[in-house]
Amino acid sequence: MATTVADLPELLKGIPPGVWVAISESQNKVLAYGADIEAAHDEARQKGEQLPLMVRVPDQNMAMFL
Amino acid sequence: MAIAIFPYFSLPLPADEAHPQGSIAHRPLAFATITGSNGSSTRCIVMPDSGADACLFPLSLEIDLKLDILGLPKGLTGGVGSSANTTCWDTIAVDLGHGIAFSVYSGFSKGMDQMGLGLLGQVGFFDRYRVEFLLSRKVFTIESA
Repeated sequence: MATTVADLPELLKGIPPGVWVAISESQNKVLAYGADIEAAHDEARQKGEQLPLMVRVPDQNMAMFL
Repeated sequence: MAIAIFPYFSLPLPADEAHPQGSIAHRPLAFATITGSNGSSTRCIVMPDSGADACLFPLSLEIDLKLDILGLPKGLTGGVGSSANTTCWDTIAVDLGHGIAFSVYSGFSKGMDQMGLGLLGQVGFFDRYRVEFLLSRKVFTIESA
């Protein structure tokens, strides 16, 4: 299987809706989050993760039709 | 010939009047490294979407890539519930791992920020890869066409 991060909903639990979250895939944990994607990414870099997975917490969990 | 197997993500959705017990959304998501024309990279969630004409990403990811938004060519895109979204275009590299990597002229739209993920559409993705959705087995495969 190619994709990592075992349980994304569990990892994002308790994080406010609408923010961008920087996730360490190797450590399977949240490194930083905030409304500003660059700030969240920079904070993750400062913690040693150059390429964190950037995920946005949905404002509302709803069915998607694209 | 590259072929990769990805798991579906099963995401719980809250109850509403139409679904009093809540429901589950099964989404074919993958993680990708995207690299802009300026050489800057970030990682994000992507989803193959055969209904998308091209590849489209959130504008925030373009900001994270530090691309020159004002200097990029622009056009309009639309989807369910939205239309005439100003979209900036750049040629980016997309790498899903396991040999699935390609360069594609992609849009970046504020309208996609709400979704927070990139859509891999017909031009640039489905014209290069065959995708098989096997929801009953909770996996999907991507294979060089």
